[in-house]
Order: sequence, then structure tokens, then C-alpha cells
Amino acid sequence: MTAANGNVRLAARSLAPAVLVMGKGGVGKTTVAAALATLEAETHGLAVLVEFGDGESGRRALGPTHKGVEHVVIHAAEAIQRGATPLFGSATMAKLALGNFAMRPLLKAAPAIRELAMLESVRQIVEARPGVRVVVDMPATGHAVAWLRTAKQGREFLGSGPMFELCDRVARELVAPGRASIIVVTLPERLVLEETLELCESIALDPGLEVARIVVNRVPLPLAQECLVDARALAQGGGALAQPAAALVSLLEARAAASAGAVAALEVFAHGPHAIWQVPLAPVDPSARDVARWLRAEGAA
Amino acid sequence: MKDPRVIVCAGGGGVGKTTTSAALSVALAARGYRTLIVTIDPARRLAGAMGVPITDVVTPVPLPAARGRLWALMPDPRRSMGTFLDFLFADEPEAKARMLTNNLYLGLADAAAGVHELVAMNLVARAATEGDFDVVVIDTAPSRHAIDFVTYPARLAALLGGRTVAWLAGLAQRSGGATATAPRGLLSWGTGHVEHLLARVTGPNLVRDTANLFADLALVRERFVALTRRASELLLGERVAYALVAAPTAAARDDVLFLAARLEKLGRRPRAIVLNRADTQAAPWVRALREGHGVAPSITEVLDVLEQERRTRATAADALAVELRSKLSWAAVVRLPYVEASAPEDIVAALSTELDAHLTALLPDAR
Repeated sequence: MTAANGNVRLAARSLAPAVLVMGKGGVGKTTVAAALATLEAETHGLAVLVEFGDGESGRRALGPTHKGVEHVVIHAAEAIQRGATPLFGSATMAKLALGNFAMRPLLKAAPAIRELAMLESVRQIVEARPGVRVVVDMPATGHAVAWLRTAKQGREFLGSGPMFELCDRVARELVAPGRASIIVVTLPERLVLEETLELCESIALDPGLEVARIVVNRVPLPLAQECLVDARALAQGGGALAQPAAALVSLLEARAAASAGAVAALEVFAHGPHAIWQVPLAPVDPSARDVARWLRAEGAA
Repeated sequence: MKDPRVIVCAGGGGVGKTTTSAALSVALAARGYRTLIVTIDPARRLAGAMGVPITDVVTPVPLPAARGRLWALMPDPRRSMGTFLDFLFADEPEAKARMLTNNLYLGLADAAAGVHELVAMNLVARAATEGDFDVVVIDTAPSRHAIDFVTYPARLAALLGGRTVAWLAGLAQRSGGATATAPRGLLSWGTGHVEHLLARVTGPNLVRDTANLFADLALVRERFVALTRRASELLLGERVAYALVAAPTAAARDDVLFLAARLEKLGRRPRAIVLNRADTQAAPWVRALREGHGVAPSITEVLDVLEQERRTRATAADALAVELRSKLSWAAVVRLPYVEASAPEDIVAALSTELDAHLTALLPDAR
């Protein structure tokens, strides 16, 4: 085993059994989650990728062959049924209660129940697979933080009873330091970064989890420094090429600022040498395998 | 007062939808239309680029390119729940006070879907009536369900008028221990078992708070429905055109097809699909540098890298454009270049210049 692999393992080990991947929409969250699961499976033989919804985006990111990665798709209705079964004593009783004319619209209108049930499903997946890392592709930002708060809120509000116990279990065994690590995916753009910092703060405040890693996705590869010097000279020299050269300078500066600014701004929240991982910008969609390869290289850096 | 045209921009996350909407509004203003840009999910991105604050107030956009004809409305999502309750319970102060102390409401306030959109649409409706605009550009939240919220409150309104509220109210009374009489009428035979189970599982608090919440909401059902109708008119009315924003990535492709299918279900079709990062040829300044004499080799090398990147993007964009033209043949496909700049306002400026040539694709009677 190379030193690079050793470093990745060391970094990966400090993560909790459940890894919750968060970030705003469109930052490449799903691909990064799939890449983390792929990397984990390559290193340890097995990993789970959890996705909510129809499973379409996870399948696309993982690609046709994903050796060692178990792809689990959690559907809201099934999660509610699963979560409710022990509460009501049996699947039949749960079905009877949930299918009730008044309960059905109520469940649709009360988002917290759905979210709690889905978190409980994740908790069960982690519990059933000791020693296997479970990577969860969380929904987009604002929504995901509200999700993580449901367990504690429910616990405080209910006070006692079987549903209180469910909330308590999720709060203690999943949404807790050492049980779940947060990985935030972001982009090297000033405004997206500002939102990311807000997200990190709000996660630390409530539910009180620390952001273990920040993945800066689509970092443009820096172009030759020499070119910037030459382009600046050309831009200042006047003549027909001054304006085109100025455009090039602005592009080069934008790239340099994107990369440097990302790291500088995010270091405030990150701890340790592997706290920030950068994934380069690919002109077209990278596969989970590509991103896994880049992440491996980042771990070695 | 006139009836403005509405352009609704929808798309998945990360495709540059917000920037594109801003650029479109600048292009319209520059052409002489009195334009209002509304962003549902401001998150400071558009506000920063346009130089306006995030507020419920319609604010003039100071960008020179907009020539004083552009206004922005960027309501803060965090304040929407308060605004929403103020509006709903304007005639029911006691019910409003109860809502504010209802634990269930407090817990759900974060997650309640569609509330911010409803509040924003209400503000838009008012602005459109008072503001004498030619065009209103609405930048929806970056979600596949950006337009679905129009149907969500209708379902909730139906629920508030339905049997659930009556059942819950009775249940709360009984679980409070006030009366022990068996339910009759609406509450059918099997329901007693469900009540028993439910109370056992959740404890009396949840049932009581849920019942109170719904009872209070039922009081203001009419206002709720009015709010929903206004939002529907703005988003699904006769004078609305839809622009779906995409980029040459697999995720954006799936999102745009999904959104087109959603619109189809609502009986609507997108007029245009704006493809970002889809330049067909090198930028003029790149060509000028390539053809120029005495350009340093370091610059030529970088230009080669840039051209390589552009070609890779263009190949993906070509394939997507072909697919979209065949699957959504009624929609115009507008390709925009990839603009790399540090300042968002520079990107907005560059894209608005590009969009000027395509305004007829979005406004049937563009001048």
C-alpha cells in the first residue's frame, strides 16, 4: 500500500459511521456522495450510498458498475410505514392507522413526520451494518438542516411515549457527534461560499454537529502564472490587442481568485490537514469514479 | 394600470438560473420595457449582482445597463412566515396568538413548504397592480418542484375544509379527558381504533396541538384560498411564458425534462430553453489574441487550454440541444456562452448582451 492510500485511510477513519453529505442544489452533492462511497468501498471493500427519492441521480452518478457500493433508496411512504410498525405494534395496525381518512392528508401536510421517518430509516441502515460506512446524500441546504433538527424538536415537544422514544433514538444514535459526520459540498464562487459559511454555522448551532470536511467542487485548474504576467503587459501596452488581453487577464484572475478564495474562506471552519478537499472542474460531468480518484489525490496532498 | 407579461424562469440547481434571470431582466429593461425581477430564493446571489437589498419592498436596480427601467423584489424567506400569519389572521388576532404559541407550528415553521412562495407571489401581485410594469420576470426556487407549490396549498385548503379537522377537533377534546363519550356521525366505527392507537403512540400533546393548529387554520380558510388563487394566476395565467434554464450536464438535462413534464401536466409548455455554458464558438477576444502578432507563447498555450475546454463543453451542449429540440420541439433553444469573471455583475452584463438577440423567443410581441 502506498503512502497516499495510507493517508486517505487515516482521514477516512476519523469520520463517523454515518456521513451526511450536504450543500445547496447544483453543487454536485450527489456525485460527491457517490464518489465518497466508491472511495470507501475501494479502500474497505464495502460501503452504502443512501439516497432519498427515486434513486435516479444516485444511479446516474454511480454508473453501471459500482463494486462494493450498496445503493439504498429511501422512499417517504415506505419509511413512514417502517418507522410506524414498531410504534403501532404490527405492520397491519400501522397500515390501518396510516391509511385512515384523516391521517393520510395529515401526513402529507406535516413535513416533519416524513423527515423523521427517513432519518429513522438511515439510523436502521447504520445499525444493521456495523463497520460499514454509510454515506447519505442529503436534500439541498435549508431543507436538510430542518431535517436534522426534527429529532430533537420532536423529543422536546412530545415528552414521552413511543414516538418520543423514536425521536430520542434518532437524536442520540444518528444526529449526534461521533455518530454522524457532516461533509459540505460547495463551489469556489464568492456568493456560494458565503452561503456555505452560513450553513456551517447553522449546523454547528443546531443540531450541534461539526462539519468534518468541506469539498470544494469544480475548482478551475490554475493556468500558468507566466501567462498572467504576459497578458497584463499586453493589456497595458495599448494597441489592438490591449482589450482582448484585458479580457484574458480578467479570466485568469477570476480563476485564481476562485481557487484561493475558496480555501481561505473555508479554512475558518475546517480542522486538520484533510479538512478541505478540492475537486477540479471538468469540462463535462465527471463520474463518481473520477471524483473518487481526485478525492484520493487530495487525501494524499 | 395594465396587465404585465410574466416570464417564469425554472430549472434545477447549479445551472446559473438566477444569473440568467437577472440578465434577462436587464436585457428587457435595456430594450425599453419597464421590468420587475422577482427572486423567490434570493440567497444574496442575485441581490449582490444587482446592487439591491433583500426586502419586501420593490427597489430600483441601479445598474447603468438597465437604464432606470428595472426594479427588483427579493423577499426574505426567513420573514415570510410572519408575513403569512399577519395576512391570514388579519381578522382573527386571538387565533394568531394561539398559532404563535402552538408547539407544532413552531416546530414546523422551518419546514412548511410553499409558504414563502405564496407570500412572495402575494407581494408580486400587489407590485404588479401598483407598479405599471410591462414585464415581470419570476426566478423560481432551484427545484424540480418550483411550480408545484401552486397545487400544494390547494390541497391543504381542501384538507382544512374537510373531515380531518372535525375529527381532530373531536379527538383533541376526548384526549384532553373532558368527555368520554364515543364519537358518532362523521367519526365512523373504525375510527375509534385509530384514535386509540394514535393517542397511544404520540401522547396527548401532539394530538391536541395538531387539532388546535388545524382548527385555527380552518378559521382563515377563505383567505388562504384567495392567496393560493393569486399565486396560481401569476404562475399559470394566460400571459405567462416559461423559460427553463439548463446547462450541459446530465443532472441539468434530467431536471429540464422533468420540469417540462410537470408543466405539461399543468397544461403549459416552455416557450424557451436557455442553455448556459453552451458557446458555439470562441469568444471574440480569444480569436483576436489567436490571430494577433507577437503574442507571447505563454498566452498561446493558455488559449489552447481554454479552446480545449470550450470544445468539450460545446460537444456536450450540442448533444443536449439536439435532444431537447427533438423532445420539446415547440420550445426555442437559446445557447449562451460560459462567462468566467469574478464579479457577478460582469456575468450579468455579458449574458444580458447575449440575450438581447433572443428576446422574441420569450416575448411574442417583443419590439
